Amino acid sequence: MATSTYLPSPGVKINNVDVSDQCQGAVITQVQTALNSSSFGSTDSFYVTGMTNHTIELEMYMSYAATETYATLAALVGTQTTVILATTATALTTPSATAPKFTLTNCYLEELPLINATMGELSVISLTFQGGTLTTATS
Amino acid sequence: MTMLKVVSPRVGEPGTEFVPDEHTNVEALIAGGFIVDDTRTKKPAKNTNTNEEI
Repeated sequence: MATSTYLPSPGVKINNVDVSDQCQGAVITQVQTALNSSSFGSTDSFYVTGMTNHTIELEMYMSYAATETYATLAALVGTQTTVILATTATALTTPSATAPKFTLTNCYLEELPLINATMGELSVISLTFQGGTLTTATS
Repeated sequence: MTMLKVVSPRVGEPGTEFVPDEHTNVEALIAGGFIVDDTRTKKPAKNTNTNEEI
């Protein structure tokens, strides 16, 4: 049995807007692109680090009401913005070593689903923010 | 000087001044109705110069 687990309820900010209550899924991935440095004479593959290409993927309930999901995102498509993902809502303002906060600055939003509708289901959209500079705050 | 004011509690306490950091897309926040540019709503200072020649 695991001695310590994480029941997720992260805090999420997009361009300074707290969208935690509209978010139902979040993944932040630190990516250091692998460059193949293998050479003749070896049958093994070796890699060295290339450029970073971090991503944040969010699943958000769609809402067209004032200051909700669509209003937050509409003007950000095709631009660089800042997304903050903290392990808890409290960690958005007061991160700690056991509740870190991750900030992806100048990440790019390429696509925004304008309508994702299925009969009888709440509308949820998937977003991917990519690139940018990743920083981790623990205090 | 630009004066931004918070409208939505999603970005701060409504009515208080919004001070963006260098990476904040202010235009997107205004377009989304989260903040307003309060600069234009301020009244210009009265001209108290009484020495003007007519």
